Amino acid sequence: MSAATLSRTSGFGGLFAPARVQATVIQIATVVMFLAACAFIENFASASNISSILYAASTVGIAAVGLASVTISGNLFALSLGSTAAFASIVYIAASGWGVLPALAASVALGLVFGLLQGLVVGWLRCNAIISTIAAGSLIAGLATWVSDGRTVLAEGGPSWLGSGTLIPGVPWQAVLFLLIVIVGEVLMQRTRAGWELRLRGTNPDAAELAGLRVTRMVVLSYVLAGAGAAIAGALIAAQSGTGNLRVGADLDFSAIAAMLVGGVAIGGGRGRIIDVASGTLFLAVLTNILLVNNFAYEVQLMVKGLAVLVAVTAGALLARKKR
Amino acid sequence: MKTLAENPLLALRWLLLLGMAVIFTAANSYFPAAGNIFALGESFALLGLVALGLALTILAGEFDLSGGAMVAVSGLIMLKCGADNAVLGLLAALAFGGLVGLFNGIVTLKLGVSSLVTTLGVMILLSGFAVWLEGGQAINFENYDLTDAFNMDWFGVLSPRSVITIVLFVVTGLMLAFTRMGRDIIAAGSHRKAAGMAGADVRGAVVTTFVLSGLFAALAGALLAITLGRASSTFGANLLLQGASAAILGGVALSGGVGRPFGVAIGVLVLAVLNNGLGLIGASSPAILLLNGGVLLIAVLAGGAPATWLRARLA
Repeated sequence: MSAATLSRTSGFGGLFAPARVQATVIQIATVVMFLAACAFIENFASASNISSILYAASTVGIAAVGLASVTISGNLFALSLGSTAAFASIVYIAASGWGVLPALAASVALGLVFGLLQGLVVGWLRCNAIISTIAAGSLIAGLATWVSDGRTVLAEGGPSWLGSGTLIPGVPWQAVLFLLIVIVGEVLMQRTRAGWELRLRGTNPDAAELAGLRVTRMVVLSYVLAGAGAAIAGALIAAQSGTGNLRVGADLDFSAIAAMLVGGVAIGGGRGRIIDVASGTLFLAVLTNILLVNNFAYEVQLMVKGLAVLVAVTAGALLARKKR
Repeated sequence: MKTLAENPLLALRWLLLLGMAVIFTAANSYFPAAGNIFALGESFALLGLVALGLALTILAGEFDLSGGAMVAVSGLIMLKCGADNAVLGLLAALAFGGLVGLFNGIVTLKLGVSSLVTTLGVMILLSGFAVWLEGGQAINFENYDLTDAFNMDWFGVLSPRSVITIVLFVVTGLMLAFTRMGRDIIAAGSHRKAAGMAGADVRGAVVTTFVLSGLFAALAGALLAITLGRASSTFGANLLLQGASAAILGGVALSGGVGRPFGVAIGVLVLAVLNNGLGLIGASSPAILLLNGGVLLIAVLAGGAPATWLRARLA
């Protein structure tokens, strides 16, 4: 598996290698589903609907990209993303008087600090990754409640370009930011020394350490990225709605995990790419939107999302097995 | 000092439990009163069953994320199917829990994927199913006699729910310690390949833990619905994270094969006492969140490098 994981996938065969087949199938399925919906569902291809898909995908996707660095480096997942996003939404709104970019920077700084602290606890102090992030989630939620006094913070002035501006009709700036983060993440993960070390840490933690890789630093880095991703997601949600409160990001943790897993990132670490996270996110966002425009209720959307996770994982496992 | 050197976490959770009991008693004289012990037993029953099921799957080297959502679904099934006949409702809820557990176990083994993935899908599916069952409004239970029967107290402190939960903890503990199935479960979580080669029924053991986890969570949900006389899709929202915290706090290792139900019970008690006591002294909601996080952080540090360092110094 490790050879297939680490070699650059090249050509047609590489796309359907056991380690890549689920990701490839989801990418094809996303495109097919999107085109079919454009052809058969009225108003699906309208600029406003496309932009609503992209708004939903951008926030979850950015959080999932950050989370994926934790997963790929072998620490399963973090459960503090939702409260980090909530705190970041409050900071973004509170700082929005300074302008959009300083407010975004303030939220990201908050996410970086929280990520760094969790990274140190997991990487340096070698504490249990899941429980550390549950504890962090509770502590961050507590701090956010204390700072905001449990109230919703409202932005002054009208909507900003980050909240509702578009590059071209149908493509909001938030989607552009998502795309940039995916590109940077993909290059970082596939083409840099840090990315290689991070993936090798996930493939085999003991071997990576014995081989002298900078294991601790990579684990810390992965949590810093996850914290930053969650904070950006929170800031974007705040920019959309003009409000920041503790409910922002309530189901961000499990939505991000689902998007990442559907895309073909292995929960055990080492396998999966940042573009897979993006395709998993888009797959779920398009699917949810199709249900939404057909007036299916929230509960049906949830059930279909759960089924999509199961089907994607089942298909991935079966296809990979047939290839072996 | 010897136990501390061997297992700092073990000593720590007793320290936490006793320390909190002393502090809360000093802060509010109602804390040790019978009525409050009864209330503690009720929270122990709810969280305990979810944590026990989850701990069993972790022991076998898996992880069941669907327990919290199952509590909500089974409570709704209990009241929907049990409106006329409570036994029927309870059986339906338990059957559903057992079947979902069976599905979790079989799919996880058949696919050879992590149970974190399969049970995440099931968890999302179940939370959607709960909202669908609820149909937009919380469901009330008209069988007041049964609700009253479940709210009576024995000797002032025990409720039917807490007794059922304690019995299940004891039975599970005995099962793990003295039966072949128990040994197989621990073997499956310790070194699955070696256990299979040595003749342990690894697949049976893993499926059993998922079925038990589903059953325990369904029982927790059904009993909660009977006791409260209503059910809602929002029940169980925090139970998964709390259950995982309780299990780890109770000395269950996420890597599998290590842990005992007795430890889990202590872990559950630590969280139950903390939240009960904070509620009694009227702590603010940030304080409750910060202290919950703080207790978990202490527990997690006790399992990491600082504890190894301490152990080396004390040994």
